[in-house]
Amino acid sequence: MTQNKDATDALMRINSERKLLRSSKNKSAEPLNDETLAARVARGDGAALEALYDRYASTVLGVALKVIGDQGVAEDVLQETFWRVWRSASTFQPQRGSFTSWLFRIVRNLAIDAYRRSNVRPQAKTGTDDSESVLDQTPDPDADVAEQAQAILKNRQVRKALASLPQVQKQVIELAYFYGMTRQEIAEATGEALGTIHTRARLGLLKLREELERDEFEG
Amino acid sequence: MSSKAKMDPRIEELLPFYTLDALSDEERGLVDSYLAEHPEVRGQIGDLQSAADALPFGVTPVEPQRRLKDALMARVAVDQRTSEQKQAPPPHERRWANLFPAFSFAIATVAVVWAVILNIQLSQLRNEVSALGDALVAQSNSLEQINAKLPQTPVSAVVTISLKGTEARPEAQGELIADPKSESAVMVITGLGQLEAGKTYQVWLIDAGGPKSAGLLTVDANGQGLLIVSSGSEIGSFNALGISIEPDGGSPQPTGDIVVLSDL
Repeated sequence: MTQNKDATDALMRINSERKLLRSSKNKSAEPLNDETLAARVARGDGAALEALYDRYASTVLGVALKVIGDQGVAEDVLQETFWRVWRSASTFQPQRGSFTSWLFRIVRNLAIDAYRRSNVRPQAKTGTDDSESVLDQTPDPDADVAEQAQAILKNRQVRKALASLPQVQKQVIELAYFYGMTRQEIAEATGEALGTIHTRARLGLLKLREELERDEFEG
Repeated sequence: MSSKAKMDPRIEELLPFYTLDALSDEERGLVDSYLAEHPEVRGQIGDLQSAADALPFGVTPVEPQRRLKDALMARVAVDQRTSEQKQAPPPHERRWANLFPAFSFAIATVAVVWAVILNIQLSQLRNEVSALGDALVAQSNSLEQINAKLPQTPVSAVVTISLKGTEARPEAQGELIADPKSESAVMVITGLGQLEAGKTYQVWLIDAGGPKSAGLLTVDANGQGLLIVSSGSEIGSFNALGISIEPDGGSPQPTGDIVVLSDL
């Protein structure tokens, strides 16, 4: 009972912090950037974690679901990912990379581990077409409309850039990034020489970067 | 471009997989070491890294159900509350602790000794309920002696040391609860058999000068005993504790079987 009361009190405090955060956001018309929010999370600010969750939860769940292929396990990974952000935000070092790079490394590693443990995904997909993924665009009433629009725009830009890559390059990148396969494993799975896999990965990434730059993608 | 020409080709071929986080630990270590030695190469990773970092945004976003967020935030709220409580104990608790250290220790000692005794009894005398009751009454009386003898010892200094039987009595086990700076301690022991008439257990504290008698120990019908050990000097200055079987009244030095011997 005491714990429930404590949780209720703390939730009320978080709601209050959230209002302040939104109010300051509205005044400045400039949302706090990821790194600032991460620094606040490291100081124990629950509202900052919530802001990051609102910003990235749908992408994190999308990544987890793509890797695992099981909605329930993917939701567990989503929860664990943001719990780790909460508990480990002090270890995030902005000088070593962006917050999203750190965040997506967490979800990717958790998802790949979960997949390997449960083997729930029948087989790593070799294409990059996400059309068969579960698509639920039901908007969260609390989500920031501008951030939602930004997420949709980013998604379209990256998908468009990926669509411009030759299928074999896209395949190598996807197997490595989303399924955690080493270059040797990819060579074995595709029946190609290791050198070919190196070349496809390098050319694919450079082409992807070029297309994203052309489309003024902001990561 | 000139720095690119200088790059080790083995490292260069690893870079795309480095940015995709798909290297083995060994390979990653190679690249990290190389980058540490050649910081000028870091610039070449930038394009590859930014492309890799964009990949998650190409996945179809899936809006999580509201209950997931609520569950996470509730967990966070409890964690926040717990952290705050750990960091800042209520002022009245601090004041109480400052004003009554001796009383705190008395309560703590009673709790610790009770816990030890109950554990031993539960594990070894599960079926002897009536005997257990008798033992507890006897030990309760002894606890009052503990409070009387150790009222000034600060709580933070108390340590618990496990005691084990020798090959002569492997089932013997117990604990010594002591402040290393104090000259007395509480010993709880079980698994010692009742001795024949004319024999007694004698407790020894052993240092470089040899064993020094710390008191005679009587055990009950269940093989349990409790003794306020008196050392004459700081408990922390001794290296070991032993229990031997001696003639009634004790001996100046151990003469019989050693049934317990443990490092302190």
